[in-house]
Amino acid sequence: MPRSRFFTFDDPHQFQSAIRAGDYEILAKSRGGFDVELTRIDLDRLWMQSSRSGSSYIMHAANDPRRVPVLFLADAEQPPVRHNGIELSAQDLVIYRQGATNHVWLEGINSVASMSLTPEDLAEAGTAIVGHELVAPRETRIVRPAPALMARLRTLHKAACRFAKDTPEALTYPATAKALEQELVRAMVACLADPPPKSGLRGGYHFQVIGRFENFLAARQYEPVYLAEICAAIGVSERTLRSCCQEHLGMGPIHYLWLRRMHLARSSLLRADSAVKTVTEIATAHGFWELGRFSVEYRALFGESPSATLKRDREVSSRQKAH
Amino acid sequence: MTGCSTTTYTDPDDYRVSVPGAAIDLVLTGSDAFKARATWVKLRRLGLVLIEETVPHISFLSLGPARVHISFPLRGEPIWNGVHMKRGDFVVHAAGGHMHQFAKDSVRWSMISIRPKDLASYARTLLGSDLALPHGSHLMRPRSKAASDILRLQTKACRLAATKPDMIAHREVVRSIEQELVVALVNLLAGSAAGDRDSSNPRRVAIMARFEQALAAGGHQRLSTLSARIGVPQRTLRSCCRAFLGRSPLEYMQLRRLNHARSAISRADLETTSIAGIARSHGFSEPGRFAGAYRALFGETPSATLMRNSAESA
Repeated sequence: MPRSRFFTFDDPHQFQSAIRAGDYEILAKSRGGFDVELTRIDLDRLWMQSSRSGSSYIMHAANDPRRVPVLFLADAEQPPVRHNGIELSAQDLVIYRQGATNHVWLEGINSVASMSLTPEDLAEAGTAIVGHELVAPRETRIVRPAPALMARLRTLHKAACRFAKDTPEALTYPATAKALEQELVRAMVACLADPPPKSGLRGGYHFQVIGRFENFLAARQYEPVYLAEICAAIGVSERTLRSCCQEHLGMGPIHYLWLRRMHLARSSLLRADSAVKTVTEIATAHGFWELGRFSVEYRALFGESPSATLKRDREVSSRQKAH
Repeated sequence: MTGCSTTTYTDPDDYRVSVPGAAIDLVLTGSDAFKARATWVKLRRLGLVLIEETVPHISFLSLGPARVHISFPLRGEPIWNGVHMKRGDFVVHAAGGHMHQFAKDSVRWSMISIRPKDLASYARTLLGSDLALPHGSHLMRPRSKAASDILRLQTKACRLAATKPDMIAHREVVRSIEQELVVALVNLLAGSAAGDRDSSNPRRVAIMARFEQALAAGGHQRLSTLSARIGVPQRTLRSCCRAFLGRSPLEYMQLRRLNHARSAISRADLETTSIAGIARSHGFSEPGRFAGAYRALFGETPSATLMRNSAESA
């Protein structure tokens, strides 16, 4: 049964749990609140999403290993985004290896489109459309399909998302959904069938370092982590780590780890019961001991005071509108 | 084991051991009543100290042999080892180092300590290379982010220890303070190795440390014997004293003896004590001249000190 949903979020935590086909961690970078629209369409075989945001953020994604996703800029006119340390422009298409992890770093107004099939459906669509099986690459790579093919894929994707937002009921007609899916899969397969690679993703040392950096953090999902500890654990000096983080995350490791702690504190404030926990307890548990400074920075980052977050008491906080 | 404490001192003798891992010998140079406050914080690997001294004085700091110390003024402009210090200046002391402080006014200063082994391992982790620290003490006048981070973190951490000690007991707070300070410290020292380092004078620091040792050994020495024992010409000793203490060796020795005599009088029993006896045992053979010098320095006569002491203990 095809279905579509359209959401708006003012909170990175709600956003990250709404994205399909993987585990996502969103770290908002911009000050003064968070603002993202997400459109999600699940067709019979094809899943697709499009996000549009006025906020800068970093997305760390661990893709669902049961699907083969592609990603591209949803708007040809927008500024480039950084993907795993590489600038992604409107002509580029990222094809992921199965179960890839990656960083996307988005600045200013940005919109990103993605779509995925299972490996079996991709192989089958390849055979049907271009006469040979398509498989996920062994390494994630960026390709540049012919401009006309890329433009067609983007236009269709955009039209489908507008459909889902404005007239969601149209997609509930099986015939419409089926036609749309066929067109989209055809456009996607055309882009994937043997286009010239732009470049292999940097397989080098920096990519390894950022992988170790993320693994270390992933193993300590709810714990604060500090620079000297992570440098010691992954065996990398501050200077090297700084240039890797600048390249992949757009900021130095100290700032990134601080941002991560702010988000950990926020999710802990959102989960906590205000009758039992205090802001001070939660702030100190995340290593924020200058409480005045914490409040000011928290408010600047999330647009509300820590005590306001705590008082929400697990009520549904996003302005979620589900169709 | 981590922890913290804040203590206010009014007796220079108690103050001697106010800082863990260091000894402070204090000589008052004016008549104001002594008052100082020492706050220390023991983190897992770093030790922090913040000191406020409100009266003019000269002090001699002897640092323990187990740790490297980094000291820096926060308010006031003391003279450390003969150098005029300002906020933002740092002195790095090798383990077992010494420092003379000469303060004409109230000062607030601070110190961080770490075992050389821990410092070396943090440096290797963060810099990917060893930190080459010079022997002896050296002065740094960095104007880096690391330097301002240290000033800020140290002040805030010590204030937290004084106002909310239970927060310092929190494991994550200790960890956060320590981790932030370590990064700033290693970067500060790496900058110093790379050229922020100012001229230092380890030879003069060593001479003055030997001078204090010779004085502490006691006896009422002549300058010629002292300089022979220290192994430097009298002229050198005079110029070191002028720079480090703001006065001649003989003036300093007299100041020291008067301070010790005052300490003895303020602990003495009115019934059994003769001021002349105390004066003699501190090298003042003429009671009249002793009383005059005592009064000029402390603003009261020796007998007034003795009476006050008895009145307080009664």
